[in-house]
Amino acid sequence: MYSVLMIRKELVAASAEPLVLSLLSKGESYGYAIIQEVKARSDGKLQWTDGMLYPVLHRMEHRGLIKSRWGESETGRKRKYYSLKKDGKTAMARHHEQWSLVHAVLSGLRKEQYV
Amino acid sequence: MFDLEQSIADWRRQMLAAGIKTPVPLEELEIHLREEVERQMKSGLDEAEAFKASVQKIGQAHMIRDEFKKVETTKKDRKWELAQILLLAFSSLFPLVVGRQVFYSEMTPGQKISGLAAVVTFSLLAWGGRLGCGMFPVIRARRIRSAVTNSCCVLMMLWWIVLFNIILPRHDFAAGQLLVTILWGFITPAGAVIGLALGIGNAARKKTATSD
Repeated sequence: MYSVLMIRKELVAASAEPLVLSLLSKGESYGYAIIQEVKARSDGKLQWTDGMLYPVLHRMEHRGLIKSRWGESETGRKRKYYSLKKDGKTAMARHHEQWSLVHAVLSGLRKEQYV
Repeated sequence: MFDLEQSIADWRRQMLAAGIKTPVPLEELEIHLREEVERQMKSGLDEAEAFKASVQKIGQAHMIRDEFKKVETTKKDRKWELAQILLLAFSSLFPLVVGRQVFYSEMTPGQKISGLAAVVTFSLLAWGGRLGCGMFPVIRARRIRSAVTNSCCVLMMLWWIVLFNIILPRHDFAAGQLLVTILWGFITPAGAVIGLALGIGNAARKKTATSD
């Protein structure tokens, strides 16, 4: 989760939970698909070290934010699917609020520089 | 000749050797590895190259192990918090219940005061461990902490055996005296052991939390 092109590792680590929660809010998913989607949505600029996603998922599951179930893909491959729980939705809303606030402050300061 | 199944088996052994021992994470990681190998091969790499690239993308075993260890620590900390709440709830309710019985009993005023002092001491010793954990030595190794706590429990039980089998039968106590002796001899040492367990447990966790 820490080797990233351009984006600092602290920011990548901090963004892991809100990103996973937001992706799971669209429906259940599994580790590999989550990584691929984050990579695609960030044009490859946000790349996690794949194996580091799983401790994050397990920690979130333990905290009661997400739940998991074993299932199978269309090709019969075993997969562990994760989905959002009620507490996860609340946590996601809180993350969105906080990140929006940071974004708003940064944007405001940036605008002032060009005035 | 490259053998993908053999290479995956070797990779599993390396992960196990690094300390990723719990089956679920390793199984998830292997499924991930296989999906990535498949994707890499579709993009044009041969089996050996795809495997090498996928292993690199998964990351180093010791880093993944360290992250999983943090998850385990969180789980243990939660169990510890629950145990503490139960112990402290017991340590708070017990003096209230027993203290009431002592207060309304037919004991002499002196016995009542002594009995109440015993249950209050029990509660203070237990809470003292929680609130005064800064005064306890920091023992980082969980095994040593368990050994210290268990040794104290054994000593306390030995003392209880001596109290009930040797001391009490040799004295002809009146009912009030007997109750006061049991409160001081049986209950108060339990408070000391609970306080000690909470004190060294919290001291170590506090130190770990501040040094992380």
